[in-house]
Amino acid sequence: MKTNWLALLGFILVLSGAVRAQERVTVDHISDLTVRLGHSAPLNFTIHIRPGFHVNSHKPITPELIPTEMFFTPPEDLVIAKVRYPAGEEMSFPFDPTNKLSVYSGDITVRAVVLPQPNASPGRYTVHAELKYQACDNNSCYPPKRLPVAFNVKVSSGAGRARARATRTSPHIHN
Amino acid sequence: MKRSVIFVLFVVVAITALLFSGKLLRRQDQDSTHASQQTTSIRAPKKGDMAPDFTLKVLGEKGKTMQLSSLKGKGVIVNFWATWCEPCKIELPWLVELQKKYGPEGLQIIGVADDESGEKSISAFAQKMGINYPILLGTDQVADQYGGLDGLPTSFFIDRSGKVVDVLIGIDSESRLEDSIKKSLGQGGSSDSNTKTASAK
Repeated sequence: MKTNWLALLGFILVLSGAVRAQERVTVDHISDLTVRLGHSAPLNFTIHIRPGFHVNSHKPITPELIPTEMFFTPPEDLVIAKVRYPAGEEMSFPFDPTNKLSVYSGDITVRAVVLPQPNASPGRYTVHAELKYQACDNNSCYPPKRLPVAFNVKVSSGAGRARARATRTSPHIHN
Repeated sequence: MKRSVIFVLFVVVAITALLFSGKLLRRQDQDSTHASQQTTSIRAPKKGDMAPDFTLKVLGEKGKTMQLSSLKGKGVIVNFWATWCEPCKIELPWLVELQKKYGPEGLQIIGVADDESGEKSISAFAQKMGINYPILLGTDQVADQYGGLDGLPTSFFIDRSGKVVDVLIGIDSESRLEDSIKKSLGQGGSSDSNTKTASAK
């Protein structure tokens, strides 16, 4: 019975992987984060751009081009800060070999930090975000898209966390 | 023991399926890239179909609209483009030149901006590019009539009777555009040996 469930789970994973691979751009699932009050936790978004496609970097060369950008709508108790995008790669394409564009291709990581507001209540929060991008290949460009991303953040109180760490580390002290 | 054998078998099958699906998708990617490089026709509307009629607002002319069917008797290019589309930016000067060259023979290019950046920025962009033919403001409805327009630029070449004679998806070359224009004007599709070949190809 357990094997059957495993087989089913595997099938779903394979299927979802195949579906995701057909998208021009995908973002990896973000594992649940834990952050203590008064501290911050790193937040990494791994973005995959399908082979044969590119997206504009966060700082494209002309104002008409649509930059790759993350938009966050965190709950009131959380702040997303220090959003850092990788530098674009300067590349030229067959449709205009004489000009270079600032683009991303392959896999890139957008980094940020999540921190609770000073008066945040400990608990579990869901942060909704969107990746805005506009993809092209060597001949065509595709309409801008917004890819929804969501992740969970557990805010723990500093004292509680300190107590938990004390109990967890105590056996090692005796070793 | 039996369970672990089944589990191992499952893992092998799952990995094989993953590798196979990856290979299949990669092949599809290559096929689609190849297809777009060849600038193939899309399915809707097909060559030989009557071009779906539409009425759209003309950029920069308050309240004025243009109906496609009012251009019957002319060879028409409906060129869908956007300000954020770099290949479109390369193609626009070719279209400007071709409008100058073939306008006296009955060619009318119309650009349909499939763009949400707003009239002001489309207008500034069109001015900067020196566009010498009408720019219409596209709508989702018209995009759907023309097959959804996933990729830009996309051009539909329409003959004097209103039939689609060619469709180009993605950028190709000025000479390829010129061949299709000749079809629209009823001059056949043979390549003119004096035609300047585009630098992009």
